[in-house]
Amino acid sequence: MSVEMLLLLALAGAAALSTLGVLLSRDNFYSAVFMSLTLVSVATIYAFFSLLPVFVLIVFVFVGAIGIVTVALAATYRTTAAPEFQFSLLWAVPVVATAAILGYSIYSYATAVPAVTAVSIHSISFSVENFVTSEYTLLFLFLTSLVVLLLLSVLNIYKEEG
Amino acid sequence: MPAMNLDLTTVSIIYATALAILLAGYFTAISCKDLIRLLIALELMFGGVFMALIPLFSVAALASPAFAAAIITIFTSGGELLILIAAIVIQDRRKKNIFVSGIKAGGERL
Repeated sequence: MSVEMLLLLALAGAAALSTLGVLLSRDNFYSAVFMSLTLVSVATIYAFFSLLPVFVLIVFVFVGAIGIVTVALAATYRTTAAPEFQFSLLWAVPVVATAAILGYSIYSYATAVPAVTAVSIHSISFSVENFVTSEYTLLFLFLTSLVVLLLLSVLNIYKEEG
Repeated sequence: MPAMNLDLTTVSIIYATALAILLAGYFTAISCKDLIRLLIALELMFGGVFMALIPLFSVAALASPAFAAAIITIFTSGGELLILIAAIVIQDRRKKNIFVSGIKAGGERL
């Protein structure tokens, strides 16, 4: 096993373990910290594949702004109530059956069609220069105006409540 | 270090981790007792979505749409944060707590 594969496995393992921390922690503050750790692990996997623009977006915007606001909120409203599952464990039976059928069908497809494994090795070569086109700029402007509209609506609701 | 190639094993590891993060997000959402944990669960699900986008960058024709999807995800998460902060503040004002048990409209118990 190559060093790159070991590193990827370590990063994926760190992401999965910190996710479990979110699920099992009773304190909201620690859950929020584990959530930030998961997102930083995901961003590091992007950096691992040399996708630095997405790494910067996730770490500085997603974790740096949204994640930190969540951590601050969790520290303010700090509750330590144990999570309560609102569903029957019997639902695990159809879920496991569906996962088994899906896994078997993907496995049998990959073994029946060897060409899939032969041609599916790609290298990642993404550059932001190719992304800056008129249609994506329009999308960015559209999303920005939507968020501003949402912010105004939230402020309006907040004022009406006050 | 040069960029690692994406073979079937690598893609499998990435999708398995994405699925684990997404499922943990779902479990956290359905077991939460307060709105803060709901917010954390939703952001965790967005983390799973980010993870699932990585293999798309290996296909040249899909790299730009994948980056656009990442940007849309960040905007959606920002909008969700706005809505939930408003919900937390309003719930705190009305009920003097942030527990989801105080929300009477809608919802279904399995």
